[in-house]
Amino acid sequence: MTATLDPVRPAAPPAPRRRWHRMLVPPGLAVLLIVTTLVLHAVDQPDPTDRGFLSPVATGDDGGSRLAEALREQGVPIRRETDVREALRAAGPGPVTLFVPAPELVHPHTLAALTVLPGGSRLVLVEPSRRVLTGLALPLEPTDRRWATRAVPPDADGPSCRLPEALRAGTAAVDHQRYAGPSPADRCYAGALHRISWGAEVVVIGASDPFRNDRIDEWGNRSLATGLLGANRPLVWLDLPGPEPAPTGPSLSPTPDGDGTPLPRRSGERADDRADPPPNWHNPLWDAFPPWFWAVLAQLAVAGLLLVLWRARRLGPPVPEPLPVTVQSAETVLGRARLYRRAGARDTAAATLRAAALDRLLPRLNLPADTPPDEVAARVAAHAGADPERVAELLHGAAPEDDRELLELARELDALTRTLAPHPTEGDPR
Amino acid sequence: MTWRAGLLLAASAATLPAWPAPFLGVAVLTAAVLLLVALDWTLAAPLHGITATRAGDRAVRLGGTATVTLHLANASARTLRAQVRDAWVPSAGARPDVPTGRVLTVGPGGTAALPVRLTPARRGDRPAVALTVRSLGPLRLAFRQRAGHPATPPWTLRVLPRFDSRRHLPEKLARLRIIDGVQVTRGRGHGTEFDTLREYVVGDDVRSIDWRASARRSDVLVRTWRPERDRRLVCVLDTGRTSAVRLGDEPRLDTAIDAALLLTALAARAGDRVDLLAADTAVRARVTGSGRPALLARLVDAVAPLQPALVETDFELIAGEVLRRERQRSLVVLFTALEAGALGEGLLPVLPRLAARHRVVLAATHDPVLAGLTTAPPTGPDDAYAAAAAWRALAERDRVRAALSRHGVTVVDAPADRLAPAVADTYLRLKSLGQL
Repeated sequence: MTATLDPVRPAAPPAPRRRWHRMLVPPGLAVLLIVTTLVLHAVDQPDPTDRGFLSPVATGDDGGSRLAEALREQGVPIRRETDVREALRAAGPGPVTLFVPAPELVHPHTLAALTVLPGGSRLVLVEPSRRVLTGLALPLEPTDRRWATRAVPPDADGPSCRLPEALRAGTAAVDHQRYAGPSPADRCYAGALHRISWGAEVVVIGASDPFRNDRIDEWGNRSLATGLLGANRPLVWLDLPGPEPAPTGPSLSPTPDGDGTPLPRRSGERADDRADPPPNWHNPLWDAFPPWFWAVLAQLAVAGLLLVLWRARRLGPPVPEPLPVTVQSAETVLGRARLYRRAGARDTAAATLRAAALDRLLPRLNLPADTPPDEVAARVAAHAGADPERVAELLHGAAPEDDRELLELARELDALTRTLAPHPTEGDPR
Repeated sequence: MTWRAGLLLAASAATLPAWPAPFLGVAVLTAAVLLLVALDWTLAAPLHGITATRAGDRAVRLGGTATVTLHLANASARTLRAQVRDAWVPSAGARPDVPTGRVLTVGPGGTAALPVRLTPARRGDRPAVALTVRSLGPLRLAFRQRAGHPATPPWTLRVLPRFDSRRHLPEKLARLRIIDGVQVTRGRGHGTEFDTLREYVVGDDVRSIDWRASARRSDVLVRTWRPERDRRLVCVLDTGRTSAVRLGDEPRLDTAIDAALLLTALAARAGDRVDLLAADTAVRARVTGSGRPALLARLVDAVAPLQPALVETDFELIAGEVLRRERQRSLVVLFTALEAGALGEGLLPVLPRLAARHRVVLAATHDPVLAGLTTAPPTGPDDAYAAAAAWRALAERDRVRAALSRHGVTVVDAPADRLAPAVADTYLRLKSLGQL
């Protein structure tokens, strides 16, 4: 009867389903994590196009009712307007502050009219996009955009901030969208707040946080918001309920009063460009080659794709080799030698070497194991023809002080035993 | 699809300058090529009509070459044009006669034979892992290929140990015959077992005269003796961590297997019964020798797939197994390593029970590196420390050897190349002394 038990076998190759799982689960988890993060971020971020976003009458988290209250306490008269034209008309002859929390909602055609305000007026724009900045012909460019708003001190990147309101407010949660502008612009909060004298005084702020009900009490937010919007001027609060319809009448701008300075324009062409927002951009490279050239390139790309598909299907899976376990010979002995060396165990090593040498010398000289050391030394010296004192020192001396002495000792013991007792023939069956 | 599809598409791109609308041309050409590919795919021989079978050698000695032939039968009505990859584990050393990439043509209802020559590099079971058939269409633009179609016919080539110590066998058998008394070059057989009575001839030992029988037959009769037959021999292979140590070019286990095979061959010829047990923490192989003629072949087959495992050997298990299975007094040859840690804690506690019932021989291979460390003259501080460590290991080994000898265990400690003859010699000596 023969019974052979199989040695440990490697696990059977996983089923194709398991392989699919292995290929799908980690990327799936990563995608899920990313999507969850993005969704949570999108939910968390206020949407300027929402109804009630920074509205003086909205009491929600996104609303601006607490800001309006604070301003009223300071005695600032607030006029809430839901239409650009009405707002501009309401501005009246005197200097006003025009607060535009959602400049995205203002129609491109009416944008330019915003800056045509009476002298000494201030226009406050919250997170204007590149389109709005271009529409207003402001010399500002959106640069970095942070994932979430950060609170920074006004002079975060140098003492260029000359805005007294910002300096008074101190650290505020402003750093969300940064802007880059020309040097004369007052730059605060690492570029998140700019003041430009562009006809009226224009203040661009990169975050809606200081004005919102939920964050107004953090840091110096309240002070900054009331400072920017207060200052002895009546406040016109442009609370647009949704995207503004295109203007109907040709006369858009309100009749500027005597002291209303017209907006300086850079050039007439820019006003024309603004008329059709998506410019029909054309790459001149297209015309540099004939169309069939691009077609050949496209077809070669498709052919390359076919080749990739061909190479992607391999002729059978790679085959794993069940490797046997291997242990190097004398692994433990060499490991112990390294430990001796690291620990500097010269005394132990020397004692072991001496004991081994004695073990081989004593039977050779027909001496019992309990022979006194000096007699051993004398007999060994007599046989080897060496100095007895030297032999006694060699066999029973002090432990070596350093590695060199140990090596010396090992060499001499080796030479001594080599002359007296040839090496034992290993492996005789006993 | 194959590279031909891509090449066809790339080549047809040269016609694009002549098209009135080049991008329409791209679409038309791509569609045409894809259509051709689809057509070719449809015309390729279906995979479910292919069956694969194998025939050939089941076992080969290490170092030899075996041939296993794969037969592909095409039962479908279409001609099969296929690239075939028959994958074995790398250590099987498979060399197909038909190169892997070559396209094979098998007519409807036909069969193709694909011989594979295998020169294994290691002992043990070498399985065929995966068969992949890629059935190409007549235009060779597309192919059908699915994992598991056709199913890989299972085949395992058992690579038997090389049994290098076979060359010692004739010499040992000659010595066995002398002990047996079959060969009368040196004299009669020795032994303790009574054989027959025969008439006294001048020269016989007078001490062997059976006086009682002589009185009955009125003739002087002598007793003849022969060595014991039908003794029991148990080879125990330790497949634990110490057997994984590589001595020279092969693990210690291979040396042990070699020696065990020589011992088995010798004992089988001497008329003894040989059992084999291989174990570490579990019993890995077990052969109970009853049918003598095929014993060696069965044994070789049983030890071939043994592999060392990185576990501490359970000598309790081995002793229990031996005591349970071997009721008669037997010679237990334990192939392991003379290592203080493994034997001192594992074997010594159970040794008295084992030695009380059986005669125990411990066969150990010693490490040539260890001997080299102790005999070479030291050249650097590292050598001095290494020599000290080696001497210490040797001293521990001697202590274990002394402890084993106290229990009446015969220790055979030999270098790897001399272990097999040394164990055989020990066996012969024990047999001639009648100590089995």
